[in-house]
Amino acid sequence: MEYILIKTLEAMATFVLAFIVGMTYGGVVRKITGRAHNRLGPPWYQNFIDAFKLLSKTRGIHHGAMHFLGAAFLMVTSVVSLMIIPVLAPGGDAWYNSWFTNMNFNGDLIFLIYIMTFGPLGMAMGAGQTGNPNSSIGVTRGLSQMVGFEIPWVMALVALMITYKTTSVVDFMNIQRETGTWLMFANPFAFIAAVLAMLGMFRYSPFDIVGAPTELASGPVSENGGKFLFTMMSSGSVFTFAKLVLYVDLFMGGANNLVMLVVKTFLLYMIPVLYGIVSPRYRTEQAVRWFWGWPTFIGLLAILYAVIF
Amino acid sequence: MLTLILLLFLGGAIVTWLGGKLSPVVGDLLFLATIIIPAGMFFTGVPVGEVTHLHALGLTLTWGLTPLSYLFSMIVVGLGILLAIYAVPFMKGKQKTGAFYFNFTLSVMSMLGILASKDWVSFFIFWEIMTWSSYLMVILNGKEVQRVGIKYFIFSAIGAYAMLMAMVVMNSQLHSFLLADTFNNFQHLTTGNQILIPILLLVAFGVKSAMMPLHVWAPDAYSNAPMAYTGLFSGALSKMGIYGMVLVMVTMINQLPEGTLIRDIIAWIGGFTAAAATLWAITQDDGKKLLAWSSVGQMGYIIVGVAIGTPLAMLAALFLVVIHAMFKGSLFMVVGAIEKQTGTTDFKEVNGLIRKMPWTFISALISVIALAGIPPLAGFVSKWMLYEALIQNNNYILVILLFFASTAGFLYCYKFLHGYFLGQEEPEWAHVKEAPVAMVIPMLLLALGTFVLGTYPQLLFKPIDAALQYVGYDATGGRLWGESLLFSQWGDVVTLQPILYVVLAVFVFFALFLWFKGTKGTRYVSTKDISTSGELPKEWENLTFKVNFMQPFERAIEPFLKRQVDKYYTAFGNGMEALFEFTRRIYTGNGQTYAIYAVLFLALLLLFRVNLFG
Amino acid sequence: MVGTPVLFIAIPLLAAFLIPLIGMVWKESVRIIPGLVLAYLLVLAINLLSYVTVNGPIVEVIAGWAPPIGINLVFNAFSGFLVTIMVFMGLLVWLYSYRFKSNVEYEAARKYFLLLMMLVTGSVGIVLTGDIFNMFVFIEITGISGYALTAFYTGRDSAEASFKYLMMGSIASVLLLLAIMIIYSQLGTLNMADVASKMHLMDPKLKAVSFILFVIALGIEAEVFPLNGWAPDAYAEAPGPVGAAFAGIVVKAAVYALIRYTYTIFDLSGAFNLLIIIGLITLVVAEVAAIRQEKLKRMLAYSSIGQMGLVLVSFGIGTKEGVFAALFIMLNHAIIKPLLFFSGSYLVYHSKKKMISDVDGMGKLAPLTSILFTLGAFAIVGLPPFAGFWSKLSFLMAAADSNMLLIIGLILTVSVVELVYYMRVVNRIFFFKRATHLLARRPTFNAYVVMIVLGLMILGIGFYPDSVSNYLHHAANSLFDKSQYIHSVLTATIQ
Repeated sequence: MEYILIKTLEAMATFVLAFIVGMTYGGVVRKITGRAHNRLGPPWYQNFIDAFKLLSKTRGIHHGAMHFLGAAFLMVTSVVSLMIIPVLAPGGDAWYNSWFTNMNFNGDLIFLIYIMTFGPLGMAMGAGQTGNPNSSIGVTRGLSQMVGFEIPWVMALVALMITYKTTSVVDFMNIQRETGTWLMFANPFAFIAAVLAMLGMFRYSPFDIVGAPTELASGPVSENGGKFLFTMMSSGSVFTFAKLVLYVDLFMGGANNLVMLVVKTFLLYMIPVLYGIVSPRYRTEQAVRWFWGWPTFIGLLAILYAVIF
Repeated sequence: MLTLILLLFLGGAIVTWLGGKLSPVVGDLLFLATIIIPAGMFFTGVPVGEVTHLHALGLTLTWGLTPLSYLFSMIVVGLGILLAIYAVPFMKGKQKTGAFYFNFTLSVMSMLGILASKDWVSFFIFWEIMTWSSYLMVILNGKEVQRVGIKYFIFSAIGAYAMLMAMVVMNSQLHSFLLADTFNNFQHLTTGNQILIPILLLVAFGVKSAMMPLHVWAPDAYSNAPMAYTGLFSGALSKMGIYGMVLVMVTMINQLPEGTLIRDIIAWIGGFTAAAATLWAITQDDGKKLLAWSSVGQMGYIIVGVAIGTPLAMLAALFLVVIHAMFKGSLFMVVGAIEKQTGTTDFKEVNGLIRKMPWTFISALISVIALAGIPPLAGFVSKWMLYEALIQNNNYILVILLFFASTAGFLYCYKFLHGYFLGQEEPEWAHVKEAPVAMVIPMLLLALGTFVLGTYPQLLFKPIDAALQYVGYDATGGRLWGESLLFSQWGDVVTLQPILYVVLAVFVFFALFLWFKGTKGTRYVSTKDISTSGELPKEWENLTFKVNFMQPFERAIEPFLKRQVDKYYTAFGNGMEALFEFTRRIYTGNGQTYAIYAVLFLALLLLFRVNLFG
Repeated sequence: MVGTPVLFIAIPLLAAFLIPLIGMVWKESVRIIPGLVLAYLLVLAINLLSYVTVNGPIVEVIAGWAPPIGINLVFNAFSGFLVTIMVFMGLLVWLYSYRFKSNVEYEAARKYFLLLMMLVTGSVGIVLTGDIFNMFVFIEITGISGYALTAFYTGRDSAEASFKYLMMGSIASVLLLLAIMIIYSQLGTLNMADVASKMHLMDPKLKAVSFILFVIALGIEAEVFPLNGWAPDAYAEAPGPVGAAFAGIVVKAAVYALIRYTYTIFDLSGAFNLLIIIGLITLVVAEVAAIRQEKLKRMLAYSSIGQMGLVLVSFGIGTKEGVFAALFIMLNHAIIKPLLFFSGSYLVYHSKKKMISDVDGMGKLAPLTSILFTLGAFAIVGLPPFAGFWSKLSFLMAAADSNMLLIIGLILTVSVVELVYYMRVVNRIFFFKRATHLLARRPTFNAYVVMIVLGLMILGIGFYPDSVSNYLHHAANSLFDKSQYIHSVLTATIQ
């Protein structure tokens, strides 16, 4: 019982960490984007203000049971992914390292691939029940794009699995610690493919047609306000963090302490953000085909590389 | 006992049919009795291993259940009972109820017969009864009879005749029709036949399990049959192909030196089936068609598992066989309920039923989650094991193909749910009521079954393990599930179960959070009351988004969609018909020509006299 | 013994002679007498058949001249089996056509039943006779009554069909006579057993030529491609039951003759291959032609030709299993094809043109007839658990035992074609909308009885094939026992 209690506390600590870091990143990105557009941009803590405002709203509307559940589904994905991904390297030096390992287990990579696609689907249901055609349009675009980037992403992961014969994230981290080489150097093609997939995963330009603020009124989330939007927003932040940590764990050797974690994730996060700032937007089918073009080719190279070496 | 059950089915089918002529109620009751009584006898009284012998035409027909066929027959009988209960309200007020009941019962009987057959002759007999009874079901509604029905029958016949050829060739060399004999003495066949026979049998079973490129009948046939039958069609009938494939793969291919190559080819075909069928499912605008293609795709996964053939892969495949029967049975029932209540199954016509048919929606939701392979439902367990088996077996590209297929599967899953239940609630469908209880309960039971098996997969592992041990996977010492990372030695889900509970806990937590937080301030508004760029839409404005639902994705895969095996078959068929027409003109109708034929034939024979008679 | 084989020829001939005479006194008798005669013959045939399966063949010497000089009739398990089928078919055809269409009038009925009796006599004679020239005579009897029956409707088309039949039949007669002349000039005898025992003395060249002439002559009657041009026309233009009689009786006799020549009389090594070749070509061309037909009866006719092709292939395998399968197919064909002809002709009864499309939606109007037609269709394409399956299975087993994989493949491919055209009709019957408001004509009571009996037989053989397999085995064995045939004929004495 005590064990479970401690585990729960650790999980909550992880969640709080993810929430804070994710929200901060969101604010920072808005700031950076603003500066890049030659605007002042909101302050870095703007997201916290938004979240607080949304949470404190007392009135709102809903469109039925599925509308409720959609947001909950989304949150499940974010939280469970976060719980599965080891946030800090298990053998790290900081005293709090063991707090953030949570529930990862052997073979969690497959589980992650699945659970990470679940959230969008759950949310899509909620968006569907609102009856807003823009929501549904956004959803179909989002799901299509997901099918697009899933291929290079899975290819990158399979390339790693081939080389190291494991499906456990922790194993990958241990391997990197033992060999001293980050996997992004051990199999550069896999890293490139994964990063290209990441562009789609984070839905910044040129892959931001899902939200498409101008013509879709932010797409899937458009019928949501108050607590719904709060849930989605926090879920998005947590999920962003979780994904970044996964990348760091897989390709950059994981982080031994929180500082390194923040530095690595932030650097990684800048790739889609900065690329997005200077990019126009793809149509969905262009995006999908783009993912099935060069990124997939590089993914194939990664697999070849893994098979040959 | 087994003979008695089969006879009860057969007799019941006829009695039901005749009874239905007296009064519909009598027919309904007889039908239920015909299915449930023998099914109950099956569950209570048929031991595995009991063998019956019959004699016909100098051949011995041997019937008895093996652990493997017992597993499959549980699907048949279980699904049969639920669908029978469902079918009675479904068929109420419809035409040709008698024919439906007759063919339904015969289908169940023939499937049970196939599974009980221990020799090829009775296997084939029941196989053909299954074919024509399902054929009559496919064309029962009278739509597109010639195109869909004939296509189904041609492919079935090709499969059946391939099997027939294989079995007579085996008999001629081994002098036995017994399944066990042909498997055990497989090595005694000539080398050519050792290749020929498995291929013929794989064609036979590939047709029924809708393996590409033999699948073209399936989408049309599944969607054309009455929905109360399609659950059985897709859930159990197509599994007969898998049953046969398991037998062939394990017993014959394993003995071949070229076995690995054949396995790889079949696995790739299966993977391609899964991926391509999924893409086709996404483009469908009719729920029946969508599910039909989805069935083809799911069979692809199963074929991959069977073809890989490691213990874990077999476990995954057989697990998916059962699970697929459950969730696809439930989904087809959902479509049937919608068809019954609204009169259409087209996404473009019907929408927003979630608040009118909540129980149907819940069944659909759970089944779809199982179909998509999302934890914590049973679909995930099987997919997990499949991926794990593939990775262990170094089939990496195939894994990617399957990952792609299952991700793309989300698209049609969403399309299905959105198509019927979500979206704008039109006044046109305001009158729709929830389906009758007798229709809702079977589908809910099946959906909940996937939930139970997702949490306690060991319930299913025991029988699957027995089946696999029977066909020769005894090296694992009866603990097949130990191969997977997911499970402990005893098949309990030690690793996954906490995660599943966490998933549930988080879900419940946030659901409650959203609910309680909203009870005071949040009010329900209709789907017309939405923000479209800040304006409230008017009553008359059409906000339904259904046409070209997946257009962006369809555009992306356009080059693929242009290539359709069906078109090639149609072209081939037309070419053949033209050739036949040409040949037919040999019969000119002119007596003089016929006389010339006779003279020419005489001259020809005289000319080749030496060659013929020496 | 309750009778002798000669009764099979004497009684129907006598009846045919008496029908018009008694008819002058009692008009209904022209309908009743043939039935009584055929019923008696059926009883006789069954009795004799069970006798010969136990005691060996009966050889009856006619007119006091012992073989090889005189004419003799041989009733053994093989010929007896065929005779039983034929007489049974004759009885069913009689029952079915008791008041069929124009038979209602006295004149027509007299003609019809007289010709029918002649047809049965001739066919049964072909099977029973042990003399080559005698067989020629019976073939002529059969042919002439066949021509007349084809032209029964006295329309333009019927006359044309009949004329084609007549022309081809004449060619057959000429060739047959030529062949007989060759044999007689070489061996100085026409008794089958005697010829068979002396066959090795014959000049090989002439032997082959005479065999070829026989094959062509009999092939015309047995509807072998490319000699079967007359058949579809004749089937389509003759009254429905006559088509059934052709399929069930005449063709059987012709095939019997062909087989008797191949197996017993000639000892040519390539003959079996020839059977396979012509059988296969017949099968393929007929099935392919059948799928493109627009008239129901024509389709059935081509299908019937195809079945005969299959029978020839099966005989051509040349093993006991092959013969067994061939006989089984013949039996099934004799049961199923008449059912299809009978029920099919009622399904298109309301229409002038008798197109396949005229059966649309008949499942509603004439459910029993439609179901019986469907049963027949399922059975003939070999779907279990109906009769056709077992014969198909035994054929395939025989072929596989002889290692004829390509032939199996080809035949199964053709079976798919066969399936397609039958299923198209079945689909139309049950699942198409009726185009016209014409009412289906209810079959007569007799027709119902006939069709139901046939349907029950299909189911009976389907569920319990052993009910007939014993007779088939005996028949197959007796065909193979050539020396016993020769011996029993040549040692026959005048009783």
